[in-house]
Amino acid sequence: MNGMNLWWWALPVVLLPILWHRQKREQTKTTLLASARFLPAAEPKQQRVWRWSDALLLLLRCLLLVTVIALLADLVLSWRGDTVLVVPGTPPAVVEKEVTRFGKAQRFALPDRDAVTWLHAHEREFEPGARLLVVGDAVMPAVLPRFRHDVVLRTAVAPNAPAERHVAVFSDRADAWRRLFAAADGAWRVVVDAVPGPRTEAIVWDRPDAPPAGLRAQLWWVTHADGFPELAHAAAVDGMRWADSPRGRLWQVDGRAPQDPDGGRALFAAWQRLHLVTQPYTAPAQALVPDAAAPAGPASGALRHWLGLALVVLFALERMVTHVRRR
Amino acid sequence: MLASSALVAHTTDLDLVVRHVLAGLGHGIHAGRERGAGVEFSEYRAYAPGDEWRRVDWKLLARADRYYVREAERDSHVAVWLVLDATASMAEPSRNVDGLTKLQYARVLLACVAAIAQRQGDAFGLVVCQGERAGFTPAMRGPRQLQRVLARLNGVEAGGLLPGADTLRASLHFSRAPGVVCVASDFLDWPSPLSEALLRLRRMRHDVRALCLHTQAEADAAFDTGPLYRDPEHAGTVYRFGRDVKETYARNRAIHFDEVARVCRQHDVPLLQARIEQAPGEVLRAWLRAHMAGARAA
Repeated sequence: MNGMNLWWWALPVVLLPILWHRQKREQTKTTLLASARFLPAAEPKQQRVWRWSDALLLLLRCLLLVTVIALLADLVLSWRGDTVLVVPGTPPAVVEKEVTRFGKAQRFALPDRDAVTWLHAHEREFEPGARLLVVGDAVMPAVLPRFRHDVVLRTAVAPNAPAERHVAVFSDRADAWRRLFAAADGAWRVVVDAVPGPRTEAIVWDRPDAPPAGLRAQLWWVTHADGFPELAHAAAVDGMRWADSPRGRLWQVDGRAPQDPDGGRALFAAWQRLHLVTQPYTAPAQALVPDAAAPAGPASGALRHWLGLALVVLFALERMVTHVRRR
Repeated sequence: MLASSALVAHTTDLDLVVRHVLAGLGHGIHAGRERGAGVEFSEYRAYAPGDEWRRVDWKLLARADRYYVREAERDSHVAVWLVLDATASMAEPSRNVDGLTKLQYARVLLACVAAIAQRQGDAFGLVVCQGERAGFTPAMRGPRQLQRVLARLNGVEAGGLLPGADTLRASLHFSRAPGVVCVASDFLDWPSPLSEALLRLRRMRHDVRALCLHTQAEADAAFDTGPLYRDPEHAGTVYRFGRDVKETYARNRAIHFDEVARVCRQHDVPLLQARIEQAPGEVLRAWLRAHMAGARAA
């Protein structure tokens, strides 16, 4: 059971306005009568009449309290049926094919590739018997996911175009650097810019003098530490010294551009691993067995906006009706 | 025309109401100065503006061609005591006349008695039973005393319960001198410390006259069936009125006031039961006549 659901135990608070309204009725409807002693005593509850304005006010106050509790308990309504979850970047033809094979289902575009995490967060929104199909290049989680629903993963590695990385080189040995970057292969391609622009991610500074003050980039490959005072006390990782400066992150690369393929590969691997994000693997296609004991995901807060809006409206209405009733 | 009860409801000027009521009564209701024991001719006095025309000696006017007023010297030992029950139940409103309560009505009638006593030259005092206390105004004569009593009556507001027996006994220490005791109450509490005190005064040879006030709605057992009712002096219980309990109400009420009347008759206390919707002049006349009838019977 979710910890937030403990708020539902606060629902008896709704009884308070009901009790208050009943007391008011008893107080307002009695009249003084000097010779009342000659009358038979009556049960006070029998003669109460509920007035319309009071009933409206009571309804508003009860709704207000229920809305507050629902907001605190983070109410989740299970309203989604059979759904096809489409990972962004999936070709439409593939989606159409899978949807046709899956049967009648709604289509939902996932915000990112991590379909399993999204499903964990939003699983309570799906009806108990709903079937789910994940199509596209979904990320493989660290452990086998457990869901209460019947989830089928139809995953395929997306043939991504190689990403472009822009580099600017300031060196007397520019040809050596160009050869190195031209040798980069695999998932990305390096473009050497003649002049640093907004797309430039890295700057190679293979000169002994200090760079001009206005030059900035996310990453600097520096061969001579003399022009960069920040590198004097730099930390070392994997035999490479690095430091953060106002210009960007500085890496000190020994002496000159790597000449052999292994050195170049090591440099690209370090760039990939330490500076760029690790590319996750694609999850294998499989059908996950529903697990009734799987933990319900954390609260999604899907209705928080609407509940907050309803709270404001109800509060305003309650104040207005109270004010009108006082006059 | 006699002042109607609506007049009582719509004016706060007690003096005006008293003059209106007494003017409507006509002549002969209050014993004149020239009649009865203890009234003796004293002297002639020159007429002054404001004197009543009937006190002018017309024969002397014919002889002397001047206005003279007969001054009578009165030696009265009778003190009139006005006892007003101003407990919470006396705030019971008339369900027919807006703004009229039992307390207002009782206040007007006692003020009329005070005015009559003042005209007769009797001393009169006031006891107001309210909020478990008995407010006491000593008996004196004269127009200033009348204004004092009227002001005190005007300031009374209904509330609380009757005072205890000990408080009443301490307040009614006037009982040594013979007097007339006029009590206006609803007598819903009976027996009560007030009723015990009245019967004790009667046993001491005082002339006790009781006025029991009802409303027309009480007499007809005609109340609104919508709301629930509470007793102003015994809060807590809620009562219901409907057609099915009308008979019960009338029977209980009759039993209660029959008992009141029986005890009064037994102790020779003239009791007048009146509805506050009746014209105050008529009620006042009947009240004083009841006394005269009682006196004659005694």
